[in-house]
Amino acid sequence: MLVLSRRIGESVVIGDNVTVTILDVRGDVVRVGIDAPRSVAVNRAELLAELESSNRAAASASEQTVSALAEQLRQRRD
Amino acid sequence: MPDTTVVDAPVIDLVHPLPGFPDQRRFRLLRLDDEGTLCALRSLSDPELRFLVVPPAPFYPDYAPVIDDATVSDLAIASAEEVQLLLILTPGDTLADTTANLRAPVVLNTTTRRAAQVILEDADLSVSTPLLG
Repeated sequence: MLVLSRRIGESVVIGDNVTVTILDVRGDVVRVGIDAPRSVAVNRAELLAELESSNRAAASASEQTVSALAEQLRQRRD
Repeated sequence: MPDTTVVDAPVIDLVHPLPGFPDQRRFRLLRLDDEGTLCALRSLSDPELRFLVVPPAPFYPDYAPVIDDATVSDLAIASAEEVQLLLILTPGDTLADTTANLRAPVVLNTTTRRAAQVILEDADLSVSTPLLG
């Protein structure tokens, strides 16, 4: 991993069109501004990890579970 | 009045893969009941891989997320009418144990059949919201 020291207001440029700027540092909280093209997805790592975990848990329910849920939904409507 | 049912669309293309499933891009959207409430997204390349999805309206009538410009552009969305939202369910043994991912809905353009799972900014929305509230 490349490690750089930056002060408030200073930036790091990644590739041709991504700029990360340190906006503020207070205690253990660092605010960063990210300028990137719309095609570059920017997400908090822990949120992406939570989503991956949620998607894996959601995948591939058994036929039995699916029929049970479908039946309960039907009963709920009736 | 929002759509409460899903139209059976043959094949949809994910413009970005679902987080956790980087190799799966093409899915078939199948209705699992007559009403089109409970549906499945089944992978074309791995038929064992299936996600249960529902349109939000029957369960969360007030759910109306703002779709960001990047998604509108990625999915070539021309009007709100062609957008179908789908919530991925994490099935439990019963409906009461089943949760829906409100933080990251699948946004589908029913015209182009392009779709993406979009992470919303609203931190109050959870990836595992009880389906029956």
